[in-house]
Amino acid sequence: MHHDNGIWVGAEDLMRDEAFAQSSQSEFSVENIDQTDGKWTASRRDFLKLMGFGLGAATIAASCEIPVKKAIPYVTKPDEIVPGVANYFASSFVEGGDYCAVLVKTREGRPIKIEGNTLSGVTNGGTSARAQASVLSLYDTRRIQHAGMVKDGQVEKQEWGVFDREVKAKLASGNIRVITNTIISPTAEKALGEFLAKYPGASVVSYDTVSAAALLDANQKCFGYRAFPHYKFDEASVICSFGADFLGTWGNPIQQAHDYAKGRKVAGKKHAKMSRHYQVEGYMSLTGSNADNRIQIRPSEMGAAITALYAEISGNGGGPKLSDKAAGAIKKMAKDLQAARGKSIVVSGSNNVAEQIIVNKINEMLGNLNNTIDFNGATFSRKGDERNVAKLIEEMNGGQVSTVIVWGANPAWELPNAGAFADAFKKVATRISLNTNLDETTLLCTHAAPAHHYLESWGDAQAKAGRYSLIQPTIAPLFATRQAEQSLLTWADSANLNATSDQPYYEYLKANWQNSIGAGQTKYLTQDAFWEMSLHDGVYENAPHDITAVFDSAVAVDPGAVSKPSSSELEISFYETVNIGGGQYAHNPWLQEMPDPVTRTVWGNYLSIPLEWDGVNNINGWKGLVDGDEVQVEVNGQKFTCAVVRNFGQAAGTVSIALGGGRTAGGCGVGYGVNVNPALKQENGLTQYYAADVVVTPTGGKDKHFACVQHHHTMGVKAMGTEEGKEINVDEKSLGWKGFQGSLTDRSIIFQTNVKDLQSLEHKLEEFHHEAEHLNSQTLYPDNKDYFGTGMKWGMYVDLNSCIGCGACQVACVSENNVPVVGKKEVARHHEMTWLRIDRYFYGDFENPKVVYQPMMCQHCDNAPCENVCPVNATNHSMEGLNQMAYNRCIGTRYCANNCPYKVRRFNWLDYTTADVWPSNEERVFHVEGEDKPYYADNLVRMVLNPDVTVRTRGVIEKCSFCVQRIQEGKLTAKREGREIMDNDVRTACQTACPTGAIIFGNLNNPNSEVSKANKAAGALAYKVLEEINVRPGVQYTAKVHNANEELFS
Amino acid sequence: MLLKRICWVFTLVIAASASLIAGPTKEAGKELFVANCASCHNKNMKDDLTGPALSGTEDRWSAFPRKDLYAWIRNSQALIATGHPRANEVWAKWKPTVMNNFPSLTDEQIESILLYIKEPGGAPPPPKDPNASSAAAGEEGLPWTYIGLAAILLLLAFGLMRIVDNLANVSRVKDGQAPLHRTTYQILTTKGAIAFLVFATILIFGYKAVDNATRMGREQGYKPDQPINFSHKIHAGINKIDCQYCHDTARRSKHSGIPGANTCMNCHSAVKKGTISGTSEITKIYASIGFDPITGKYMENYENWTDKQIEELYKKWIGQEYMSANSLTALDENGKSVVENQWEGVVKALKNDSNGKIQGPIEWVRIHNLPDHAYFNHAQHVSVGQVACQKCHGKVEEMDIVYQYSTLGMGWCINCHRETEVKFKDNDYYKQYERYHDELKAGKRDKVTVEDIGGLECQKCHY
Repeated sequence: MHHDNGIWVGAEDLMRDEAFAQSSQSEFSVENIDQTDGKWTASRRDFLKLMGFGLGAATIAASCEIPVKKAIPYVTKPDEIVPGVANYFASSFVEGGDYCAVLVKTREGRPIKIEGNTLSGVTNGGTSARAQASVLSLYDTRRIQHAGMVKDGQVEKQEWGVFDREVKAKLASGNIRVITNTIISPTAEKALGEFLAKYPGASVVSYDTVSAAALLDANQKCFGYRAFPHYKFDEASVICSFGADFLGTWGNPIQQAHDYAKGRKVAGKKHAKMSRHYQVEGYMSLTGSNADNRIQIRPSEMGAAITALYAEISGNGGGPKLSDKAAGAIKKMAKDLQAARGKSIVVSGSNNVAEQIIVNKINEMLGNLNNTIDFNGATFSRKGDERNVAKLIEEMNGGQVSTVIVWGANPAWELPNAGAFADAFKKVATRISLNTNLDETTLLCTHAAPAHHYLESWGDAQAKAGRYSLIQPTIAPLFATRQAEQSLLTWADSANLNATSDQPYYEYLKANWQNSIGAGQTKYLTQDAFWEMSLHDGVYENAPHDITAVFDSAVAVDPGAVSKPSSSELEISFYETVNIGGGQYAHNPWLQEMPDPVTRTVWGNYLSIPLEWDGVNNINGWKGLVDGDEVQVEVNGQKFTCAVVRNFGQAAGTVSIALGGGRTAGGCGVGYGVNVNPALKQENGLTQYYAADVVVTPTGGKDKHFACVQHHHTMGVKAMGTEEGKEINVDEKSLGWKGFQGSLTDRSIIFQTNVKDLQSLEHKLEEFHHEAEHLNSQTLYPDNKDYFGTGMKWGMYVDLNSCIGCGACQVACVSENNVPVVGKKEVARHHEMTWLRIDRYFYGDFENPKVVYQPMMCQHCDNAPCENVCPVNATNHSMEGLNQMAYNRCIGTRYCANNCPYKVRRFNWLDYTTADVWPSNEERVFHVEGEDKPYYADNLVRMVLNPDVTVRTRGVIEKCSFCVQRIQEGKLTAKREGREIMDNDVRTACQTACPTGAIIFGNLNNPNSEVSKANKAAGALAYKVLEEINVRPGVQYTAKVHNANEELFS
Repeated sequence: MLLKRICWVFTLVIAASASLIAGPTKEAGKELFVANCASCHNKNMKDDLTGPALSGTEDRWSAFPRKDLYAWIRNSQALIATGHPRANEVWAKWKPTVMNNFPSLTDEQIESILLYIKEPGGAPPPPKDPNASSAAAGEEGLPWTYIGLAAILLLLAFGLMRIVDNLANVSRVKDGQAPLHRTTYQILTTKGAIAFLVFATILIFGYKAVDNATRMGREQGYKPDQPINFSHKIHAGINKIDCQYCHDTARRSKHSGIPGANTCMNCHSAVKKGTISGTSEITKIYASIGFDPITGKYMENYENWTDKQIEELYKKWIGQEYMSANSLTALDENGKSVVENQWEGVVKALKNDSNGKIQGPIEWVRIHNLPDHAYFNHAQHVSVGQVACQKCHGKVEEMDIVYQYSTLGMGWCINCHRETEVKFKDNDYYKQYERYHDELKAGKRDKVTVEDIGGLECQKCHY
């Protein structure tokens, strides 16, 4: 076993597999390079034919006249639009209960980018990958474009007036049910209320795609609030999570991540302190991967684990028995928790009411209630209850329902009982869908009344108690769709809706805000000012302060009622990913192509299997399986086939798979992954996201396009030398002598330490810096200090302790820089184009490792190896420290990508953006299933492109530019205002997207810039990746510091 | 480099000496004339305007002392009151128009003006045909020199060949061999000659190919027809409307902006007829935005009007204006065809494949097109660099039809960035370039060009 430096990326590099070392050195996968799908074989004759055609075509093209271009002005130019200058509108991203306060960047009236709204007390300017990607779904070619009857998978167009008359006639008799996901909009709830009042037989059925019903029920019972409380992770010194993914998907993740990162900042160097985070779970969640200690259990042991902690804290036993190892660890964890009374948090992701009640009791006993757990900031991100759906199914089967209106939900797909729902649903006479896409449920409907995308809508949201925010349209509706609330109010013949006005729901919303939400407001003098300013700010915050939650002593705490551990050989967990969610985000290509942070797979869901260590020298996948092997999974009487991915941290005897794969209708997600919803079972009506008695059988097949980016673009891996019979440094061997400056003598990529050993790491790093400086100064070339000494020198600082790997930056980068989507087949060939990747490194125990996430983008080396090798000088350095890439100069030799030690350069192997004119180049380019045209060939999709960034064509290299368009814009603003440039003038897309503030960008020449200060504050802990090879990067990272309890398992 | 330095020193010397012996100059005179005199006296000096033509002033006053002329210019009425004969002669002719007083003009300034009046420096050169750019004009003379040179070289080569031949024959004869008598044809078809020919052909064609390739996509002189015969000469030249009145986003955006019809309406709600075009062009603006020139009001619900309704309205307007211009009470035959023709023009200008209606935007033909991979920002150049519009766009105020004045090629951009000095001292933004400020202070550098602050770097324009 080789374990130097304590860091590894996966089993292959841990095993020093030479074949892997070779393949990871190359830019593209050799196995897949010949994949042609049988479409393309070229002979010499073909080559000659094509060359002849090419020459002829070029001649014709060259002799053509340049096409006439039009310049079309406005007839009456709106004052607020200046062509070429972006406008920002405050709005809110809302999808079910997922929420983010945002600023929408529009150019010439079309939204192109989502930024966080710093005025929000909920998200504090942070965003999520989902919010960042939401702008793309506005331009989804598969949106329903008009109202009408659903027939044969199509919507037959009807005028809204005709449609409304028909719907109203249907609504007039019988019982009505409105199916929704969580609604956090107070005005939508009011509209819904009006609708229900109009039709006495009507009621609402609300559920969540991924349920939190047990937690909500428990909080209702214990405290009287059916909501998540506000968890003050910044104030907690010990955090214990029983399978709750609070940094990724659970509760209010953006705020929680923000607070959590605050608590993870190392305070004070001598007596360094930070919070300690325990995660008790079976599979490795995003939150678990950030934990200091993970206590691995089988998912069925969750109840036993919670009761074990309860027993330690209360002294009352009575729960099921937990395995010895975990029980011992929980004992020690309990000591830590008790030592931090009133300053700890215990949370659980379980969907079992008894377990959640025990967790509440534990928090109460630890004195956390009303301290770190606060109902003044109650979060409403989940309100639903899947038991309502089961009841509805019975009603529908019993013929008691005549009309069902589906609003935003997709119950015919995203529930364990979706099949039963679909069957019962068909028995309902009138089935109306308000969904935007022709999804699985809408296809079963009789009527479609498509709603606007949120960027075309008016609306509001109350994500947390008293924290309101507004949604305003940033573009005129692209299609003949209509606001869902307006549809309901129209059908309810609401007296409060002025149907003749231009924007009826706008007036309805404004009236509700002025008369109800802001009724008692004292912040503004008039209600008009209140409305205008709230709309301008996007938020109006009037959070309660006086709530003191009391644990209702009448609630029984029953350790006997928790879930029982199973004795089966294999168990499975089903989990929600930060990108695809429960499948509701599956139709967004940016999210599909964003790797899942933990498994690093894209385009589909894969079965995570554990790795087995023989204790000596070998680490193998469970059952000897390797990544991409196909297996059949049998669980709860359901069978599905999928590929496996080996994952460190997956507890032995368990496997896991993400929800959200295998959509069958509605958009680009169709055909990727498997639908695991039918395999979920419900207990007491609540969906359980695990199952025991799982049988996994290898089929012998392989996923031809297995797409896991973990081993793409890795940085110089060591290998077992065949001649030497021992580990060697590949770079050194190829160079022929050791210690040559420039060879990768040590993998100084990640540094980590326990917080108690912080000082020794500092000493080590000081020595390392010293040594690197010594190596780097042995050069013939003069120093270039003078070159960068005047004006600006751009640099970045990445705090690995704040980075939680959520991927918001990655999607933001894709959105800002027109990075193309390449599709699964291309990712499988190492052709993903992302400029910013988040590398995942493991360290610690092989069987239970910890994780560091490292955002890796172009390091803008001042002594850049890529620049020296370009034969046409297409990449070179600016005096502001930018490694510049001139696309129009690039001839595609890829020497630069080959010479880049960080592997951050991407080559346009194909015409991904359909920027050139030859259709033959488009064949392998990403298509949405069933579409003739490539994805980007559609003008609707191209509306999302940032007009300030060139769309790259085939055959050129591209890479992170430090958002040079933003740098230029910021400089221009400062120049025009005749002042010095400030930090706020230039903020990169990844920086603004980050919910935890892990990325800081700015002018290194200014000692007072944020980035200079951060570098200085980090001291010796700040390092440059591969510092010793004298490339002099412009990006600084800080060492990862964890606070593990090292006696936990001893 | 050395040459540049010499030139620079030379310029400095001239500039310095000029300021030392600053006497009356024609340049100063021109400036003063434009500021003080041009509103009443014709610039061509030959025709009368509000005041008399000034050509020959000095001759006419030559019989009197120079100071009389000064006094006349400073305060003409005072001189008349003294009974000065020449003064009263002019007064008799131009009464009652009183010339303004210019008491602040110094003798030297008056001399400057007189100098300018004497030699106003000819009329501005007639506008060049844009297709014949200066470069092309330069080339016109050159080819003959080259052709002549080539002919001489060819003759020389031919002569040398013969000499070589003869020398070869001499040596053959010496060796006792019979001399070879090659004809000119034989000489021209030797291997060497053919190789040379092939080489030359490749060289010329290669050069031409590369040269033409760089020019591909460049459209200097591009002068397309526009939907409206809009004259920048009338608007910016004669009426002196500031460029940024209409192109108002140039100072704050990357685009200079094509004004919307509502900007046109700021003036044209009052100015309803063009001096040259009458109703034919301005009606197009009205039909685009929906303005009724007869009532002076905007039409309600104009976007839903039928073509027929629109046609009726504007034909009525055109006809009415025709009648009033020709003092008619009914349209004559000519009038009818004028109305038809003008209306056809309106429809042609506004209705096209992309916009099937008369209502809606005026689709201008874009003249200045940069390739997609080049980023250009007007605000940077107009607001920060304070570059005059004319520097890149030429004298638009003299163009009836606008054409692309510059090449818009990269070399052209780069060249300007090399030469242009940054407004370094007036803008706090440039404070951070401390080294340059130090060097300026120490006299190590005399200016900071755009190049010095990174203006030649790729990613200033390509990203």
